[in-house]
Amino acid sequence: MVFEVLDGGPQSTIQDVGRPGYLATGMPPSGAADRFALGVGNLLVGNDPGERYLVGRRPGSAGLEVLLSGLKLRVLAETVIAITGADLTAMLDDSPLPMWQTVRVRPGNTVAFRRPRAGARAYVAMAGGIDVPVFAGSRATNVRAFVGGIDGRAIKKGDVITTLAPRRALGHLEGRRLRDSLVPRFDGRWRVRVVLGPQDDLFLEESIGTFLTYDWRLSPTSDRMGCRFVGPKLEFKPRPAYLVEQAGADPSNIVDDTIPVGGIQVPSGLEPIVLHVDGPSLGGYAKIATVISADLGQVGQMRPGEIANFEAVSTNEAVEALRKLEDSISEASLVRS
Amino acid sequence: MTFYREAVYRPLGDLYLTVEFGDELNLLLNFRVIAFDTALRATSIPGVTETIPTNRSLGIVYDPFVTTHERLVGQLKEIEQRMGEIKELPSRHITIPIWYNDSWSQECAKAHGAPNNLEYMAEINHTSVGDVIRAHAATEWWVSAVGFQPACYQALPLDPAFSVSAPKYPRPRKWTPERILCQAGKLTSFYPVRSPGGYQLLGRTPIELYDPKQQNRVFRDGPVLPRVSDRHTYVPIDEATYWQIRRQYEAGAYEYQIREGSYRLQDYLDKLAVHNRRRVQQAPGSV
Repeated sequence: MVFEVLDGGPQSTIQDVGRPGYLATGMPPSGAADRFALGVGNLLVGNDPGERYLVGRRPGSAGLEVLLSGLKLRVLAETVIAITGADLTAMLDDSPLPMWQTVRVRPGNTVAFRRPRAGARAYVAMAGGIDVPVFAGSRATNVRAFVGGIDGRAIKKGDVITTLAPRRALGHLEGRRLRDSLVPRFDGRWRVRVVLGPQDDLFLEESIGTFLTYDWRLSPTSDRMGCRFVGPKLEFKPRPAYLVEQAGADPSNIVDDTIPVGGIQVPSGLEPIVLHVDGPSLGGYAKIATVISADLGQVGQMRPGEIANFEAVSTNEAVEALRKLEDSISEASLVRS
Repeated sequence: MTFYREAVYRPLGDLYLTVEFGDELNLLLNFRVIAFDTALRATSIPGVTETIPTNRSLGIVYDPFVTTHERLVGQLKEIEQRMGEIKELPSRHITIPIWYNDSWSQECAKAHGAPNNLEYMAEINHTSVGDVIRAHAATEWWVSAVGFQPACYQALPLDPAFSVSAPKYPRPRKWTPERILCQAGKLTSFYPVRSPGGYQLLGRTPIELYDPKQQNRVFRDGPVLPRVSDRHTYVPIDEATYWQIRRQYEAGAYEYQIREGSYRLQDYLDKLAVHNRRRVQQAPGSV
């Protein structure tokens, strides 16, 4: 027993890199919305950061994903933690808790997240990783499918969090931090790279232009399943009559096909929705583009009201971005202070 | 339209691509998707980590550090060219009891300001509620896609004469009770857990098709029962039987009715031919 939950906040869930391999059953992969942040947190505390999202075989150690604010934990046993991701004004008792570095905590300490300053999701990595049952290869929570984490739900007041045995002595973990140059700066304006398609050919040419140039504002109706963006209406090309009958009366309707994680569907041309890590694998709305896997974390860190600019890149550029991101989740990125 | 001469390969970001065989709902298209998926799995191409069959396309997840989009498309096109005529597909048959027009469906429709969904379907199809239920239970249903949520599936009627059609709700519901069978167009679908949705509500089953706790042994290998290429028969039950089966299920005593087997596509083509002949004979002015 390492922590007792005093307040779960709006939604704090146990996550690792996720649960690939079950998309054909409709089971989303879930996992951390910001893979980089949880991965670095795990590295800092000597845990397994896991393999790559969706295609890796090891989900790595589980940590806490904290949405916005309100989470409050009481420390029951001495351990080392690292807070990464969003700046949610993390406090250790009455002092600010430094981020992107290891911190030793002791029984009686309280770890709390007061208010969001930059980004939406912070991660609490704990030496050893959170010990909950592995379901279908992963500890990641999906609250809609009732799986992973503690009883398939967000954590709540009264829960007790236990960890597995730390892989390194706590003393060896102290003083580790991420290189300053690698600490992400969240300034409320987000560049999100996309690969156009699969249904960009159903949209009017000028609407593709609008999509790639407009300042899209994140709607409050956003979560780990989908992030909705507010902006001008996107228009579709006229469709043949058989599609109206087969796919549906709305010009954005298609006969259902695969939705990738990061797929951007645009129901009725209104409010593009980036389907995220808890999103569906199948759906019947035209998808204008797909967020590249390296930038899923960017979308996961957006707060309602913030602005995203979508930028089209090639599949090869997307793979290079992923390589860069994954290479940065390594011991070489850490220093001792 | 319908069948593209050659499959269309579309990138879905950097980790997926889709092999699209057509853009409409058609069982023959779905058979082709499943056959392609089967051929792909038998080949085991390096880098492919999972496949997602849909009504008309196959989603493929791959590791871009092992292969590239271009190389993968080349290998997939070879499989496509090698694929011969498909005669038979492995297919389980599952019998699922349904309390059609159950009280939860009725209340849910009312709560969302919609008329009784089965009465509405009967009205727009110029028939009676009894006939809609009889028609729905008379045909076998072919599971053509699984997705959206765990154990949510889409199924197409294997009897081409099945003619009951239903529009989606004009404004989607905020919630639907769990274990509800539903229909839109000629697709039957299923809400395994409480969720929003816009399909017309047909009825409720007392048995689970999704069990994250994996309590019954049919969930030994995973929490999701429906698989693409399953066939379903829905058996109408009354309220008393619903509760009897539900209690059985909760006591862990329910025996799922599942038959392993295969499906001969010629069976469908024969029915389709008979149906098309009848349609021509019945067409106005053809007498």
